Amino acid sequence: MNSRIAALVVGAIAIGLVLAQDLAPRTPLYHTWQYALSLAIALAVLLAYANGVRRGDDGVVGKRLLVAVAGAAVVICGGLAAGLLGPDTASVVGTPGTVVPIPALGAAAFFAPADAAAVARGDAIVTLRRREGAALEVGARGRPLGESLLYLDPRPAAYIEAWDEHGAHLTVTQPTSASFLSPVLAFRQQQRIGEFDVPYDTFATPSLHRVFRALYFTPRDLAAFPRAVEDKTHPAVILYAADDRGAQLGITFAPSGKDVTIAGVRVRATLGTYPALAIAAAPPAWALVTGIALFVAGIGWSASRRTARGTPREPQAQGV
Amino acid sequence: MRRSLVIALVVLLGGCYSAPDPKAAGSGGPSTLAGAPAQSFDLRRTDGRVDSLAAHRGQVVLMNLWATWCPPCREEMPALEGFARAYAGRVVVLSVDQGEAASVAAAFARERGVTFPILVDENQQYGRTYQGVGLPTTVIVGRDGHVVRGIDGAMTLEQMRAAVAPALAPPGPRAVSR
Repeated sequence: MNSRIAALVVGAIAIGLVLAQDLAPRTPLYHTWQYALSLAIALAVLLAYANGVRRGDDGVVGKRLLVAVAGAAVVICGGLAAGLLGPDTASVVGTPGTVVPIPALGAAAFFAPADAAAVARGDAIVTLRRREGAALEVGARGRPLGESLLYLDPRPAAYIEAWDEHGAHLTVTQPTSASFLSPVLAFRQQQRIGEFDVPYDTFATPSLHRVFRALYFTPRDLAAFPRAVEDKTHPAVILYAADDRGAQLGITFAPSGKDVTIAGVRVRATLGTYPALAIAAAPPAWALVTGIALFVAGIGWSASRRTARGTPREPQAQGV
Repeated sequence: MRRSLVIALVVLLGGCYSAPDPKAAGSGGPSTLAGAPAQSFDLRRTDGRVDSLAAHRGQVVLMNLWATWCPPCREEMPALEGFARAYAGRVVVLSVDQGEAASVAAAFARERGVTFPILVDENQQYGRTYQGVGLPTTVIVGRDGHVVRGIDGAMTLEQMRAAVAPALAPPGPRAVSR
């Protein structure tokens, strides 16, 4: 009796662990050995129970519960395969309006164009276009595709606009990035400042020979600032300006969406997020559906026997 | 026996564990765009009219992304003007200024005697979409609205002729099945 309950509880917990891969795909837990070991132990417990039932330890109810045990085993194997054999979570980074091929999925990811308002709202989406099949919009919640789960990973971003002292709009480039002509900074690098790891990026206004480094501070970072900052509820950047030979020309604090003038350039940095497309291995849907259906059906079947006849009659031991 | 099986299973699964290897894909420059549908944005030209790549669907287009501050772009401009004149009626030349004010691009065009249309792309939509890794960037778009070729860097007149030649070639004879 105890081994039966233990098997069911372990099976349910293991199913929950595997389902968590779909419900919370951002957790890096699934590719860890601890996760795999947990599922392996669960599988071992179920197999041990099944072995006992085979020997006649748990009677007719136990035999009917083998259906549930098989279902849990299917789910566990699916979870183990995704966690151990599936590829580690990969991030596909694109700039707004670009198409990035993803050969592994036989598809291309279209990163939606984003203006300053879209970056501030952080609601840009990524659309996956496949050679065969309809386009798949990926939003904040994950979308399954085969044995992968696609989800958006919002990252700090800034939309940069710049003008000269006469108000003429200036070209913004990213000399150190593959996204040379994009005014959207992705802050892919980090700089250690005090206790903070601060994301930073660089851009330039080549017509005025100015190069800027932008350090991104979240509201949480700003709250810890010893100096008075007027608005600590929105992100902000600190801009360092230099000429194109590296001579320092100034430093200023730039709240999101506010114009600041530095080194003869009026700069507006609208801060928010822009997503990367994350691709995580996920248990195949058929394994989850089949396994959970068997698990529930097995429990239901064994319960119906108990309900119909009260305590199920154990088979008579037969002497030889 | 059972214990051995469990240990063997754990060891087997542990061996399957693969260390994290995060991969990131980025933009690959304009040369990677060949065959992709050409994306289009409506922009105002220096003469005040609205124009776009899509407005020239059915024609071969040579789109040149540039800026007045870019020395190679300025050096390329005479060749581009020569090409536009030589291929008038066969290839549409669209010049798209990246990020600058219309007045700046218009003054440059007047000074250099540029006759082809200049679109003013203050938000650099074409530049980022066509994955410009520098300026100038040239994109050849076929009659079907797909990118034929993307080229990074300044081109000579001869290189421009060679670049549009595949797009201007008549379609090959279709295979006839019996």
